[in-house]
Amino acid sequence: MTPKPHPARPGSPWRPVAVAVVAALGAVGALSAPRLDIPVIAAIVIAGGAGALAVLTLPSFSTRRASVLVLGVGALGALRHAALPSSDSHLIVFWAMATLVALVLVDRADAESTPALVGAPPLAPRVSEATRAAVAIGAVVVLLSVAVVPTLTRELGRQEWLGKIPTLGDVQNSPGSLRASRELDMTNRPRLTDTVVFTVEADRPDFWRGEVFDVWDGVGTWSRSDDSYVTLARSGGAVPLILDSYDVGAQRGEEMRQTFYMESRFSQLIFAAPSAVEVHTDLVLVGRPDGTAGVLRGLGQGAVYTVTSRNLKPTAEVLRAADATALPEPLRTRYAEMPVTSERVRALAESITRDAPTTYDKIRAIESWLGVNTEYSLDAPLSPKGVDVVDHFLFDSKLGWCEQVASSLVVLARSVGIPARLATGFVPGERDGLGGRFVVRENDAHAWTEVFFPGVGWQGFDPTASVPLAGEAPTNGSWFDWARDHVATFALVLGAIVLGVGAAPDFIARARRRVRRRHSWPARALVRLEKLGRASGRPRQPAEGPGEYARVLAAGMGDDRLVAVGAAIDRDAFSEAGTTEAARTGADDVLAELAGRPRRE
Amino acid sequence: MFRTSSTAVHGPGDFTLTSVVLFTLGMYGIAAGSVTSDQTVVAIGVFAFVLFAIGVVWPIVILARVSVEVVAPSDGAVGDEVPLRIIVRGRTDRVEVRVLDPPGRWWRTAVPGVGTMPHLATRRGVFDEVRVQLRTSAPLGVFVRVRQARVRMPEPITLAPRARPAPAVLYPIGDEALMTDPVPASVAGGDTVRAVRPYVPGDPARLVHWATSARLGELVVREHDPPAAQGLALVVDLSGPDEWGDEAASYAAGVGRAALAGGGVVLLATRERQGPVCERVLDARDLGRRLARAVAGPPADAPAGWPQRLVRALDFGTTP
Repeated sequence: MTPKPHPARPGSPWRPVAVAVVAALGAVGALSAPRLDIPVIAAIVIAGGAGALAVLTLPSFSTRRASVLVLGVGALGALRHAALPSSDSHLIVFWAMATLVALVLVDRADAESTPALVGAPPLAPRVSEATRAAVAIGAVVVLLSVAVVPTLTRELGRQEWLGKIPTLGDVQNSPGSLRASRELDMTNRPRLTDTVVFTVEADRPDFWRGEVFDVWDGVGTWSRSDDSYVTLARSGGAVPLILDSYDVGAQRGEEMRQTFYMESRFSQLIFAAPSAVEVHTDLVLVGRPDGTAGVLRGLGQGAVYTVTSRNLKPTAEVLRAADATALPEPLRTRYAEMPVTSERVRALAESITRDAPTTYDKIRAIESWLGVNTEYSLDAPLSPKGVDVVDHFLFDSKLGWCEQVASSLVVLARSVGIPARLATGFVPGERDGLGGRFVVRENDAHAWTEVFFPGVGWQGFDPTASVPLAGEAPTNGSWFDWARDHVATFALVLGAIVLGVGAAPDFIARARRRVRRRHSWPARALVRLEKLGRASGRPRQPAEGPGEYARVLAAGMGDDRLVAVGAAIDRDAFSEAGTTEAARTGADDVLAELAGRPRRE
Repeated sequence: MFRTSSTAVHGPGDFTLTSVVLFTLGMYGIAAGSVTSDQTVVAIGVFAFVLFAIGVVWPIVILARVSVEVVAPSDGAVGDEVPLRIIVRGRTDRVEVRVLDPPGRWWRTAVPGVGTMPHLATRRGVFDEVRVQLRTSAPLGVFVRVRQARVRMPEPITLAPRARPAPAVLYPIGDEALMTDPVPASVAGGDTVRAVRPYVPGDPARLVHWATSARLGELVVREHDPPAAQGLALVVDLSGPDEWGDEAASYAAGVGRAALAGGGVVLLATRERQGPVCERVLDARDLGRRLARAVAGPPADAPAGWPQRLVRALDFGTTP
């Protein structure tokens, strides 16, 4: 067995190894801290300390072997936490770099244990070698990752999976936001924790809708006018959902695919960006007439399904123009009838929308009013029992969370004849920078308003000011996707930099030579000679050197001194020794004298 | 020199524990992450797999671009550590180098670099090339790439056999025999007084003949007769297995050295690559060189009249 070196010895090459291993394991500790419910600092100290002890003091292993094994264990930890949706991409990158540096240093330290050739030059400094190797290899890793990772996950990725069968305990412990319900009780505060409920792989963020409600009881409960559901039949490889025949966007809108990965142990709802058209899954789904869907027995942890949604994503001008199309009567009856509410709420709706010319502007006006006159707070007091929650929120408390705010928008809109309904689900969630998925937690549960525009379909409006609006997050995917999208730009910029750096010295040298030539005596003398020649009607030919040209001029002008001028220019320009100061002065005098001589006729 | 003459004998190299860890991690990460569409897991797998691939390719590329030269001293002896000057050319951070025959220890050097390593000589002979191994696992320690080369040295090294201790065996040599000596002997002074002569400055004091000096009243010194020549013709026949031949050469070196140390004349009859050779050896170094050049085969005959001492490799097969 390889004898274990003494890492504690000053100057030992194993000490930087220990530092790098501690850094790598510290990152793994930081990743695992949330799962273990211990402080991040404690997790870093425990993981890093354990690694350092193993590397430095484990007597039965060689330091090299101990280092590699410890790094391997750390890598398994990093893999475990990378697979979890709450993983921190920056810590993964930090772990990777620390591991890379540690490997380089381990090999370097091993090499240093070999005796050096007598009189041989010393090795490059450890930091220098580790830095160069880490930068070079890191660049290759990044390039290959960008090229390979999206393709692998797209081509080999699982987009349908049944997941685990939920237990009774899973059902009982699941949050209300994941359970199908006949009613939405506004007098209860929702459960909002950091627990991840699902992750979504999608090209762009959107609201992940679960249910919609269209009947407001005038007190505190939302329900549906049609609470029926039917078992949906499979068609080909997908399960088509029930489509609203008036929802043009669901039929002709831009297609968007989303794959949902369930992290929660139980969910009864199929979440999807509005408006869902079909679901790729082997589960038995039930559908409602409003276009939402669910799973009778529920989804378990690990379930994966892919949804295709369509939406027109219209502009404000398109929505304003929608008023030109008549609202279908069934929709008016169901969604635009005057809701059960107080007179002052109706009056408020009238006053807010009085000056708004179109449905879209009316909605915006109500949103603005809510933004100015109400405040968002998850700690808002619950409305008293039996009191109209919307009325209480708009006139008394003016403090509420998304359910109060969105419900108010629906009630106010309907009070002025605008078809609207309440949608519940989740906001897009934060995007995992490395993996690119949207990580959705319990506290991302949300309620918003959907308004129907004839010829367009249902469009979501989020009046809750403090909740990020769908579409504000970047629309690109993971780092890898983003890098691939910009690879041409990178290549151009890189090429320009390389070209610039490579050509700059030559360009500068040429410029300097040009400047020197321009200001040198032979250059100035040649210019004067050429000027003299042009004045005498004999410009210099391109192939003529100064001496040759001067001889021609001497013959033409009848002044042999020009021959000496040309010879002086030639010598100064082309010979190593140059010409004498006297010859220069003489040439200058000749040129000055001839320049002042009147032209011969 | 190195690039054209290298031949691998131990395969391209060895995978290390690091390679096992990285390969496993890489395959698992890519497979598991791809199936679950988890890009972070795939990225970790790609990271590990890239480290594995670079860790294998990098040392191969490094060693392909490195050349080595070896400069050895002109003489050495079996059992001695011979200083070999190693010149490594190329462009990388570091490599490790060792000399084979027998495999020595590894020495590291920066590249390019020049240094000296001691190498234990174990075999007698004249060598104009040496087998050298280079290895590196830089930068990740994933794969230890080893390359081997036969490096021709600018000047050959002559490794004499290690002289076995042997008693001095000297025989008187007749004048006739001396006349046949291929190299005329320069016989040292004997101890028989032939005459006395006046002292001249520079004469050693031990040669002063005190009795005669007292009688004559002036210093006189003794003049001696040359002693009778002694020595032997060492006939070395190395026919037989190499090991036996080396043993025989080692024994012959001991006998020859003892004879030379005793003031004897040594005539060495061997067989070299060019054929049988019988010449007088001048000193121990000359003896070593001659025995280093000796090869298996019938040796030259000793001149007539010379007392012979035959050393045969075949005699060392059973009683080394």
